[in-house]
Amino acid sequence: MAKPSFFGLLLIAPALAMIGALFLYPLGFSLASAFTEPGGGLSLTHFQKAYELYSTDILFTLFIVVVSTLLTGLFAIVISGILTLGETPWLVAALRALYRWPLFIPFIVAAQCMRTFLAKNGLMNNSFVALGLMEPLQATSFLDWRGIIITFVWKQVPFVTLMLAGAMASIDRATIEAGRNLGASRVRVLIELVLPQVSQTLLVGLVLSFVTMLSVLSVPMMVAGSQPTMLTVDMAFRINSYGDYATANALGVISYAIAGTVAWIYLRHSVKREVQA
Amino acid sequence: MRKSLLAAGLAALLLSNAASAQTLNVATAGDQNMVDYIKDYLGPLFEKSHPGVKVVAVGTGPGDGGSQKIFEKLDAQKKASANADFDVVVVHQKAAGTMVQEGLIKKYRDSLPTGKLVTRESATNALGTDVSGYVMPMFHSQTAIAYNPDLIKNPPNNYAELREWVKKNPKQFGYNGIKGGMSGVAFVTGWISAFGGDAAKLEKGPYDAATKATWDKAMADLKEFNQNVVITPGNAGTLDMLNRGEIAMGPVWVDMFYTWKADGKLPPNMRLKLVSPGMPGQPMYYAIPSKTAQEKLAAEFIALATSPDVQAEGIVKRFNWYPGIDAKNLEGKLDQAAWNQLFADIPPDTLASNGKPFPIGPYFNDILETYEKKVAN
Repeated sequence: MAKPSFFGLLLIAPALAMIGALFLYPLGFSLASAFTEPGGGLSLTHFQKAYELYSTDILFTLFIVVVSTLLTGLFAIVISGILTLGETPWLVAALRALYRWPLFIPFIVAAQCMRTFLAKNGLMNNSFVALGLMEPLQATSFLDWRGIIITFVWKQVPFVTLMLAGAMASIDRATIEAGRNLGASRVRVLIELVLPQVSQTLLVGLVLSFVTMLSVLSVPMMVAGSQPTMLTVDMAFRINSYGDYATANALGVISYAIAGTVAWIYLRHSVKREVQA
Repeated sequence: MRKSLLAAGLAALLLSNAASAQTLNVATAGDQNMVDYIKDYLGPLFEKSHPGVKVVAVGTGPGDGGSQKIFEKLDAQKKASANADFDVVVVHQKAAGTMVQEGLIKKYRDSLPTGKLVTRESATNALGTDVSGYVMPMFHSQTAIAYNPDLIKNPPNNYAELREWVKKNPKQFGYNGIKGGMSGVAFVTGWISAFGGDAAKLEKGPYDAATKATWDKAMADLKEFNQNVVITPGNAGTLDMLNRGEIAMGPVWVDMFYTWKADGKLPPNMRLKLVSPGMPGQPMYYAIPSKTAQEKLAAEFIALATSPDVQAEGIVKRFNWYPGIDAKNLEGKLDQAAWNQLFADIPPDTLASNGKPFPIGPYFNDILETYEKKVAN
């Protein structure tokens, strides 16, 4: 093994110092605060409190993020499938031009738009009523868990699609054409030939989306009422209303654990592939 | 020759600028309307009477969270023994109490010419902490139930009638829980005052940690009540849903209600009702950090802000708040129409009897936490 050069270390020192000061130190600090009791000893009191007050919200958060991730994956596969295998030029062109737009819109702006779009007498329902598709009395508000999921999926699909469509474009077209020549439908080609070759990219995209959605504060705060709500809102509330950083940090650790589990699944999967390769 | 003249002129200009450019930094908690009030109305007014002074307004965010941010900054600067960046702070009751206890703000009211015009109890007692002398109320704000008179001919008069009404008209009443802003918090503390037992003790103390056990029944009822209501996203969320006709009734801040109505964001026929036994309201306070570079200027700023003229024109007429100083000082400063509008739905005697303070700090936190444990989770 090559000996690490002194200058090499010097070159990465600023980056390391940044990570240390701005990420590792605060992380350690919040971990310590979550596990220490007011007196100073180690304890799980803050976790007990977090569980007592927010057990529903923990499950709610998991539910929202898991469902959103699955839907994001589904839509991303459909869109990038059409982009790669589509045979209707205008549809492919239109989709290619349109699908990236939500990428450039921040979560908070998306949430603000959804707030008036998805309301009971909001733009969406009013349009349906005006088109004669629905009676005014049938209108229901989507400003609850469904609103959060819709906003998350709308915002994350382009991101995953961007990665997935890129990966699909770079696989060997010969495999696709072989499948088509032998009479496989496009759906079958997508599922049995294309997807297995890009599954790694899909997984990366979904893991990143999962972690992003887990950390968004604005969407659950603005789109849905607060009962139940996501952990980010609870953390903000804990700090803003009580100045209680300890329980907020305990909730943070629970979020780390959820994000960590997903990262672990991803790492295990990629290590397995490395070994196979 | 000409060049050096020009240079001298420029230098003089720079010098005079530096000498006269004083900046007064005002940090305010609360919604955007607080920043607007200082930036668009009070700041320019002060700059006119104090040439060369520039007023800079910074908003720190709505609710107690905004005040918490100001507290954290002042606290950090005090620990570093540095001058505070802020010359005037505008904070909520809870934070004002803590700031007095931690010695972060100055006792200045007695030297203020307008200090004597304040009579309300909330100027001396902030949620159980004695703050007399340290704060000057900027305005008083009140929560009440807004309703649509086209849909509700006889609005409920008290919490018990409201509970019955909601049972008969499910999903027609909406409020924002306790995490989406203070109008929902006000509704919940009002509920506990109405059904939880000794309301006077919640407002005056003394604090007894065992009291929260007596709220179990009220909280269980509230959980049942919540089955038939809509939980809205935020103070503005409740008003939005009232505006779109998605709910017929909900708790709101009186000032926001009138402002939205004036802006055409609520139907003009909407009305307010301050139900018995009462709903809470709160003042916002002007305070001066204990170590600041512009002490004298800050006091002059607050004196202007609490003068009867500014209270009449700015606080009551433009922003629909109740005055921070005693309302009788405003007589003659305000035309009858503006006065009547402010008290149209909630007459002064109802305001006096049903306008309550929030519970004292520890009870307030207990109510929120018990709500989280028993109702929301």
